[in-house]
Amino acid sequence: MPARNSTAALPVAAGGGALRLRWPFRRLLLKGDGQAESGLKRAHFRDWRLPFWLLAPQLFILLLFFFIPSIRALIQAFQLTDPFGATTQWVGFQNFERLFRSGVYWSSAQVTLIFTIAQNVLTLSLALLLAFASNHILRGRGVYRTVLLLPYAIAPAIAGIMLAFLFNPRVGPVAHMLQGIGFDWDPNRNSWHALSLIVMASSWKHICYNYIFLVAALLSVPQSILESAYLDGAGPIQRFLRISLPMITPTLFFLIVINFVYGLFETFAIVDATTRGGPAGATSILVYKVYQDGFVTLDLGSSAAQSVVLMALALFLTFAQFRFVERRVNYSV
Amino acid sequence: MRPFYGALAGAGALLLAGLSSVQAATEIEFWHAMSGALGERVDEVVKKFNDSQKDYVVKAIAKGNYDEVLNGTIAAYRAKRQPEIVQSNERSFLTMVNSGAIVSTSELMAQQGRPVDVSKFIAPVVSYFAIDGKLQAMPFNSSTPILFYNRDHFKAAGFDKPGATWQELEPQLDAIKAKGVSKCAMVLPGDYEWSFLENYSAVNDIPYATKRNGMDGLDTSFVFNKGKLVGQVERMKRLVSSGVMQLAGQGIIPIQLFTSGECSTIIASTASHAAVVAAAKFDWSAAELPYEQGVTPKNSVIGGAALWTLKGHTPEKYKAIAAFYDFLAKTDTQVWWHQATGYVPVTTAAYDAAKAQGYYQKNPTREIAVVQLMRGTPSDNSLGFRIGNSNQINVAIMEEVSAAFLGKKPVQQALDDAVGRGNEVLRRYEQLNAGKK
Repeated sequence: MPARNSTAALPVAAGGGALRLRWPFRRLLLKGDGQAESGLKRAHFRDWRLPFWLLAPQLFILLLFFFIPSIRALIQAFQLTDPFGATTQWVGFQNFERLFRSGVYWSSAQVTLIFTIAQNVLTLSLALLLAFASNHILRGRGVYRTVLLLPYAIAPAIAGIMLAFLFNPRVGPVAHMLQGIGFDWDPNRNSWHALSLIVMASSWKHICYNYIFLVAALLSVPQSILESAYLDGAGPIQRFLRISLPMITPTLFFLIVINFVYGLFETFAIVDATTRGGPAGATSILVYKVYQDGFVTLDLGSSAAQSVVLMALALFLTFAQFRFVERRVNYSV
Repeated sequence: MRPFYGALAGAGALLLAGLSSVQAATEIEFWHAMSGALGERVDEVVKKFNDSQKDYVVKAIAKGNYDEVLNGTIAAYRAKRQPEIVQSNERSFLTMVNSGAIVSTSELMAQQGRPVDVSKFIAPVVSYFAIDGKLQAMPFNSSTPILFYNRDHFKAAGFDKPGATWQELEPQLDAIKAKGVSKCAMVLPGDYEWSFLENYSAVNDIPYATKRNGMDGLDTSFVFNKGKLVGQVERMKRLVSSGVMQLAGQGIIPIQLFTSGECSTIIASTASHAAVVAAAKFDWSAAELPYEQGVTPKNSVIGGAALWTLKGHTPEKYKAIAAFYDFLAKTDTQVWWHQATGYVPVTTAAYDAAKAQGYYQKNPTREIAVVQLMRGTPSDNSLGFRIGNSNQINVAIMEEVSAAFLGKKPVQQALDDAVGRGNEVLRRYEQLNAGKK
């Protein structure tokens, strides 16, 4: 066995001479006869223990926070149960039937659809605009970027409360401004105002995330192509629309997927802090309804059924996006 | 435990016992939902108990709002780490009783040789928290809604005080807005389902649900979609759409709009006294809930919460719990609690004692809630409510009623839908708890 402190490394036979393996990895990758192979295959591990322990932390986390809750939700979706667990009855598909018969659930689905699309369009277009603009600013570019990234560091609940307060028709300064110019702003009495409020809050929170990806993507657009377009007489907007935009479609596609997932699953805190699903369920998006039915009103069966539906929806959406949207994306330069 | 560690622990315990030279007191946990000033009062009352004797120590822990406390309790109970005492609101009564997780207060006190005399408690509290004369939980913070008003605004609009009936009050509110005294003559409270609907039906003696509002069995159904209650929601809608009554919305609490002087009136729990006294910088007063013209008003119903004893603890702990409850029911404690918080005294002795002190002469608004709760003989419609999954129904009702406010549907249809959704929840509760009270 080679000395542990030895810095001796041997080139990996295939897959690139630049890669040199130090002791522990070399031991992993080498077969008994001392020959190294490219890539990691099961055969590289002499027994199951090491890979098991390497994977264990991640598997444990998955088990704890994904598999166990999912399985419990799946079971609970077919039960009618007392919150304390005193009485439990198997009710088959009753919870699902109830859900799909309920007008409230369908209107929540409709709200969710409008919300996620509006949020996606607003976030992406504003982030694109900002990324484009800040790429063209020379002085103080770093300051702009830092300022634009700040909202990401703010907790969603705080962002929500802040917006709820700013736009509160009684006491909010922004609301008073809107009322001052003759706009009868009142998210407590107007569903569309409330919905636009949570779209604003969630977009504001997520623009920075989109922004940083787009800035990086725009920077990676080869300068030579942009310069030749410039020489051909293309202005900055034309260069952006004709050259940069098509070249960053993979990033745009990635962000669309992320924004949908964000809108569907991560906007709970914002809704809770901004509108609490109101008025009259106008902003009760699906994920908020899961929380409200499960934790506020203790209707565990329905809440579980809803989370199963959401889980299926998430799987379907991700699949559909990769299957159909990605085909139109040009990955090659 | 291995012998060595056992010995070590034993030695440590001996050492500790020797050092402090007192027998360890029995410690019990009390999870509550009181925040702000009320949370401080809870800490004070617990400290009073802890200082009053040395055998037991109560540890008060604030666990968020009522929903969060209940959720925490459920999670803890399922993990077998439940606290000894938990505060839960009146709405959760059936959930708690049928949870299989509690020890009834009457039973506990009888076992501990401190039997409860139910007749000492005021009637609306007993009718709410007792089944067949047995207290299920220890009444703690009981309140009822009353009308707080800004006297300056009323004077400026040319009125002495708010009218006793809705027929008198409504034109006053309209006038306050029309004369420009205030842009907001009334603010809608967050718990209007309790103050504007449930209490309205009790005071005006109208059935809210069949079977004496659920007191006679789980096969109760809602009937609040007819008669005067429809009129009440129509009235609320008119007040909201004319801008006379404003909605606070998210970001602020309705009572803040009253105490800041922006809104002239609010119908809120008598426990709001704490907030009003602390923040209102104007001449304010309070009055009984308005009622319909021509009606002899009945008693209003309570809100607030009671203390529930959870199962699964050692006999010493139950001894400690009983001692704590006994302390809470004492007249001195009740009088202090009533005056410090604005909640009503839960025993008649405490009410009499406060009266004898001349407290109500100096603080007339503090008596309104007690008088309102105890007036007349309770009818079938004013005994209280025993509704399964009440939180769930509450959300549905508020959603439908606010849909009516928004003009999404007519009031009658909104109430029909609310009744429909509510009854569906009731039937499911009946299905799950078949054979229970």
